Amino acid sequence: MIIEMREFTRVEGNGKAEIVIEDGEVKDVRLQIIEGPRFFELLTLGRHYYDVPDLEARICAICYLSHSVASVLGIERAFGVEVPEEITLLRELGLIGEFLESHALHLYLLVAPDVFGYPDAIRMATKHGELVKEGLALKAFGNRIRVMIGGREIHGINVKPGGFGRYPTVEELEEIERESEALLRLAKRSVRLFAQSDPYGAQAKHFVATDGYLWGEKLISDEEGAFHYTERIEEHSLVYSFAKQSRYKGEAFFVGALPRLLLKSEMLTPTARRLFEEHREKLETGYVSYNNLAQAIELVYSLEKANEIAKTLLDRGIEGENVPVEPREGEGIGYVEAPRGVLIHHYRIDASGKIAYSNIITPTALNHAMIEASLLEEARKLYGEADERAMIGRLEETVRAFDPCISCSVHLVKL
Amino acid sequence: MMDKLKLAVFELTDCGGCALNMLFLYEKLFDLLEFYEITEFHMATSLSEGNHYDVALVTGTVSTQRDLNLLKEARNHSEYLIALGTCATHGSVQASVELPIREKLKAVYGDGGNPMRALDSKPVVEYVAVDFALPGCPYDKEEVYQVLIDIAKGIEPVRKDYPVCLECKLNEYECVLVKKGLPCLGPITYGGCKAVCVRSGLGCIGCRGPLPGEVNPASEYEILKSLGYDDEYIIRKFKTFARWEP
Ligand code: SF4
Ligand code: SF4
Repeated sequence: MIIEMREFTRVEGNGKAEIVIEDGEVKDVRLQIIEGPRFFELLTLGRHYYDVPDLEARICAICYLSHSVASVLGIERAFGVEVPEEITLLRELGLIGEFLESHALHLYLLVAPDVFGYPDAIRMATKHGELVKEGLALKAFGNRIRVMIGGREIHGINVKPGGFGRYPTVEELEEIERESEALLRLAKRSVRLFAQSDPYGAQAKHFVATDGYLWGEKLISDEEGAFHYTERIEEHSLVYSFAKQSRYKGEAFFVGALPRLLLKSEMLTPTARRLFEEHREKLETGYVSYNNLAQAIELVYSLEKANEIAKTLLDRGIEGENVPVEPREGEGIGYVEAPRGVLIHHYRIDASGKIAYSNIITPTALNHAMIEASLLEEARKLYGEADERAMIGRLEETVRAFDPCISCSVHLVKL
Repeated sequence: MMDKLKLAVFELTDCGGCALNMLFLYEKLFDLLEFYEITEFHMATSLSEGNHYDVALVTGTVSTQRDLNLLKEARNHSEYLIALGTCATHGSVQASVELPIREKLKAVYGDGGNPMRALDSKPVVEYVAVDFALPGCPYDKEEVYQVLIDIAKGIEPVRKDYPVCLECKLNEYECVLVKKGLPCLGPITYGGCKAVCVRSGLGCIGCRGPLPGEVNPASEYEILKSLGYDDEYIIRKFKTFARWEP
């Protein structure tokens, strides 16, 4: 017998799951990514490098800037371009804007309705209007940063190899400094809210993140030594899903806010670090549902970090100079922490600056096996215990905890 | 009080941006809810009510059999259907990958055939008649707000009929095509975005699709050629967001 879950709601993109029951027991779970393929790597093949980050941004709207930045990093590494600290800090600021926009969307509009028992945030707003407003304020602030750095709320084209089209002004940086301080109170409150829930889903055994907090040169895991993805991560196709599945040394693994905290807590800002320590025991159990709590702690991190970056830039003043980029034959990988986990853009570029090879692996594709493992575990726990509707509701919450972004998982190519 | 109109948002294959942009309306979304009741919007709500919609917004391209079925459902059950965003109106980036679907699938997934029934990505307007087409990757959110308010008040919304160039002039942005020699598609692209990319000193990449009518792509082509861009580059640029025209 197969229990078919309907298409997931309150997640980005189109996906569903099947629960396979045999002899009265849950035998298997299949996560089906039914969103159509979009063939992004084919789209960029043969194109001039300069145009590529703007196109790759279209992979996903919720985290377009992570895609632009990962793409730019891959291209710059292929050409051996180094940018000054100012440009690095502004890119980090952009990624923080994206954390705020994306985490606030996920926690307040998609997850919170589960906590309070509503089908959506709009209906939740009648009783919990304050909370919805707080979430929207955080999200709007994140989007203001995305406009400033990325050029638009969605799919801006301001992030370029070697720098930016337009640099922020002193007034804009002062606004960031002010607002990030003012909003910190709301973020702390969200930590209290999401610390309350009981654990569900599987306990992840392997965690993977980039070696810097927001982006990196390489990946790290719970094992010794930084590594390139090709050394430990493998992908394979499935007949029932448009997304491929990745495994870390053959096993399911987890990328996202919880893995980031567990692997990189020493890089957190002061208050975020204190909150991490306060909830460390819980988080270290590795239950995927604590990803929600981890995201709430990252809201605090993001505001503190945005404040710190704005202060640094205001002290030093903004130069607004791009670094010249000369194409040459080369290969480069950009690793970025998208809000929902590690994002990889890998390119080979020819001497004329055209893309000759491209491979993109997104967080949701990396988490595909872990989502299945979590659904299986949760279904085994609940099948026969809870009624079917309650079981399916909890399974949807389990999927939601990964903050999956389904559109973004569907376009892998190996040439 | 008057009954609220039933509003649905259907998402086919896309980046999620056009659906997400509705949530970025913030307080204005609540203003819309004075006139509308959301009965289907799976990014935002777990409710899914009803089988009749006064207004349906469809985002994305038809890229699978599932998308096609969903689109037909949406068309059959709604009074007023809006193709929302460049995916739905012109195909956007995924429709510009010019290989037969079999070959594309093979490049990505290997020899396993097509068990998930993928189709060549095409815009919504290729399959069904739409009552209004609002391009943009993503569209300007003020624009969708205005369109929905107009419909609620019984006014037929107007289509923009000027290029991005005009918006540069209104905002007094320096022309990046003439002054910097950047490959800007502003002269032949649907206006309505407030020329936001030119504000960053960058050329318009044409994300709102080509403006039909008296605009002149041939002369844009000549200008870009005279600036030193080669044929292949220009043609790919022209076709990135729009292989199809509504
Ligand atoms: S038109 Fe652009 S923003 Fe809208 S769904 Fe398509 S790719 Fe995303
Ligand atoms: S300027 Fe061009 S690329 Fe930018 S938003 Fe407008 S139409 Fe799109």
